[in-house]
Amino acid sequence: MTMSLTRRIPAWARWNTTTGKVLILGLGVVALVGVWSLISLSRDSPVVYEDISEHFKYGSIGSEPGGSIFRSVGGALPPYWVFRTLPSVCPEKLPGGFASLGLIIEPGKDLPIGVSRRTRLGVDQVGFNCALCHTGTLRDSPGAPRRIVLGMPAHQLDLQRLVSFVLDCSLDSRLTRENVLARARDMNAGGPSLFERMLMRFALFSRLRDTVLELQARITPVLGDRVPAWGRGRVDTFNPYKSVQFNWPLDRLPPSELIGAADYPSLWNQAPRDGMQLHWDGDNDSVDERNLSAALGAGVTPVTVDHAEIKRIRDWIWKLPPPKYPYPIDQNLAAAGAPLYTAHCQSCHADQRFRDGVIVPGTRVGRVVPIADIGTDRHRLDSYTDEFAANQYALYPDSQYRFKRFRKTNGYANHPLDGIWLRGPFLHNGSVPTLRALLDAPDARPRVFYRGYDVFDQKNVGFVSDVPQEGGQTFTRFDTSVPGNGSGGHVYGTTLSDADKAALVEYLKTF
Amino acid sequence: MNGVARRRQRLWIVVAILAVMGAIAGSVAYVKLSRELPEPQFASDEDHFLFASVGNERAHGIPYWVWLVLPRIFPEHLPRPGGYSAFGIVGMDGREMPAGFAKVTIGYPRVGINCAFCHTTRWRERPADPPTIVPAGPAHQTGAQDYVRFLIACASDPRFTAGNILGEIAKNYRLSLVDRVLYRFIIIPSTRRRLLALERDIEWMHQRPEWGRGRADLLNDAKFSFLRQPGDKTIGTADTVPLWNLKQHGGMAYFWDGSNTSLREAVVSAALAGGTPPGWIDERISSLDRVVNYVSAVKPAPYPFAVDQALVQKGSAVFSGACAECHAFGGARTGKVIPIAEIGTDRQRLDAWTAESATLYNAFADGHDWKFSAFRKSDGYVAVPLDGVWLRAPYLHNGSVPSLGDLLEPPDRRPVQFWRGYDVYDAARVGFVSDGPDARRVGTAHDTAKPGNSNAGHLFGTQLSVEEKRALLEFLKTQ
Repeated sequence: MTMSLTRRIPAWARWNTTTGKVLILGLGVVALVGVWSLISLSRDSPVVYEDISEHFKYGSIGSEPGGSIFRSVGGALPPYWVFRTLPSVCPEKLPGGFASLGLIIEPGKDLPIGVSRRTRLGVDQVGFNCALCHTGTLRDSPGAPRRIVLGMPAHQLDLQRLVSFVLDCSLDSRLTRENVLARARDMNAGGPSLFERMLMRFALFSRLRDTVLELQARITPVLGDRVPAWGRGRVDTFNPYKSVQFNWPLDRLPPSELIGAADYPSLWNQAPRDGMQLHWDGDNDSVDERNLSAALGAGVTPVTVDHAEIKRIRDWIWKLPPPKYPYPIDQNLAAAGAPLYTAHCQSCHADQRFRDGVIVPGTRVGRVVPIADIGTDRHRLDSYTDEFAANQYALYPDSQYRFKRFRKTNGYANHPLDGIWLRGPFLHNGSVPTLRALLDAPDARPRVFYRGYDVFDQKNVGFVSDVPQEGGQTFTRFDTSVPGNGSGGHVYGTTLSDADKAALVEYLKTF
Repeated sequence: MNGVARRRQRLWIVVAILAVMGAIAGSVAYVKLSRELPEPQFASDEDHFLFASVGNERAHGIPYWVWLVLPRIFPEHLPRPGGYSAFGIVGMDGREMPAGFAKVTIGYPRVGINCAFCHTTRWRERPADPPTIVPAGPAHQTGAQDYVRFLIACASDPRFTAGNILGEIAKNYRLSLVDRVLYRFIIIPSTRRRLLALERDIEWMHQRPEWGRGRADLLNDAKFSFLRQPGDKTIGTADTVPLWNLKQHGGMAYFWDGSNTSLREAVVSAALAGGTPPGWIDERISSLDRVVNYVSAVKPAPYPFAVDQALVQKGSAVFSGACAECHAFGGARTGKVIPIAEIGTDRQRLDAWTAESATLYNAFADGHDWKFSAFRKSDGYVAVPLDGVWLRAPYLHNGSVPSLGDLLEPPDRRPVQFWRGYDVYDAARVGFVSDGPDARRVGTAHDTAKPGNSNAGHLFGTQLSVEEKRALLEFLKTQ
């Protein structure tokens, strides 16, 4: 047998000839490169944080691009090295860097809070996580240090401009391998791996452009001039979702359906919320489903989602206590506000004990109030349709996670007020800057104010809302006459005396 | 061993290896492409009606994963954004499949339609309200023809490739390597071939006016497919009907022209028209009998809005005088065929069904345990009882009159064009909102000038006074 096999190999290719040796060596090298590529490409390893708050801020929920090397799925951001260099590649498009968009960059960190890092498909990738939209900042005064509060609405974040910038700069002709590598070297942090540099030479940028073009084509109708800007602290949850998940052509939807911007909610104290009607319009009553739905918005797909890492966050926010009001409270005044709260607010908004998980049975807490009764701006309600819900039931298909709890409603849900002092501006669309202003009759509420400035207004409870800019940051001019921004409705408590209103606001500080 | 023996031994080894490989490939092919898993069982008769298979998936089913992603790959072939909802297909609270869609595994998961596809209705009070879904009601909102044409348009599109389809599936589900190979080389190409073949099968539709929402021409479908009648120019397009309360309809004639008087035959023949193969009926007629039981018992949805009881009382008297003989339970002519000369409505639907069709149908099930014997040719349309009539708009057999209010007007004052399929209710006219920007965006136009679409005839009640009509409408809401 051996003899006959040997006889069939041509003389030039036998191992004991020179060409044979070269051939075998060559094959060996090819095999090694192949194995190396396979290992590199198939690695899926997030940067893991043991500490739960670090995990919340920087951990991966699986929103980085993944799936197959031939066609990656999911993700909203370019690879790590590209993402980090974007602001310097396109400096005129973002003069103040990521921080000017309200992204929070802690000292010594390479990525903003809310951006995770994970190696997938041979590339160091980044993705969004929960903390992006659910971590806020506040200051006691313009000169005071910034406090970072996890789980608080990211009232300072301009997500729409962030996404627009990333898409825009990813398509910029200056985004080249050379420019990225040069800037990565300047960052002095190791730079891309050899394998990644190889990918950059061959496929990475063309593939990035394809992905970005597709995403841009899908969501442009809600990023551009056709709909009012979301502004800081707000996101249109469901319209990008319609196009990213289901490829609905947004420009063929009725224009009013495309106006859906709403405030970010707080994430603390979720346990007593399970079973309540969640989201502003109360379209889902399962905390877990709501979480997985929000994760889709951050860029996960049913195949790239990291259920285990999301579960860690879910378990943490389940019992995360709402932060206590850190400033002085006039206890007598607050005590005078308590009965007013009981009389005017409690049946819909729960009492103070909600922060400890107590819900008084028989109340309307966490239930939808019909739009005709609540009277607030209806655009956000109308942006969520029963047809969209019907499509959602096929998300996370063939798994225990498949969506079952989404429903079209006809109003907005009552929310418990734990940690309400950190949840301004108020109403679902953030159209009223402070709690005190919310107690004014609708026509007496501010018509125009600024959002995103993080100095706290202790008197009115909310953020100071008359500062248009500071340093490199411009804040969102919020005009309540713009469609979707109406500050009408929710007239509860507006007929109280000024003294009563002051007492009620003082009492709300204790929530 | 000599050379011949050695060669023979080698040959046997090769044959054995091939046989083992063949057996493995055959088993994989059987398991992955053809093996039928037990159908999902539904605890309630209503769920069985909404989601159970009527057996058409082996021949006509679309692979679930392909079905799932088609609207996402080809949104330009949909009438508007919304996925399958754009055809008025009804999503059910939290359910994986819409009403009227069964998901079964025959080798791979497949999707087929069932009775509820045409027999589940939906209404809402205001445009932004959540809809109320009523199983067994007529699916006035569903575009059956549009749905089929969408599937064919996808299959005809050059972008209907295994690469594109698998790419979209990969965003939602991780198929195994074996599955990906089978989808790429067998399942997706065969799905495409079958849909393109379907295009030839439905070619007869193209010479006829659009069905529009809530209507179907199942009659010609049956004639030209399994009854194998020669092509003709007839138009059998008619409104989908409610399937509720059928126990109370016992002994009455079914189908608009009363061409059958047996409920079971009506249900089985409707399943055949929906693609159920006779062999499946042989084995699982009990599943269809469960549908028969459900539609016998389920009650029509009561009118959900306020009614003026005093006016209802007055209307009751008007009804007794002008309508009851033909439309009240127990009326002398209720559930019977009224000659076309007397009723005067569009006769296309009547003429589409021929004596030969009836003969062929009665012979169709020969050799099976189940039989057809009650098909017949009639000379008019059935005077139907009016249970749940408020939710049965548009009216007349061809759905040519949008509301009961319009039906009480003489034909020349009925709308000549309106939009079908929008589900917001118009309590003043008693029917669905049938014009305006939303109705036009969501629905399909019904042009009464087109053949088969005429709104003529049924003059009964058109001579009543305005007051009497108002009272009668109020009374009809309560039926």
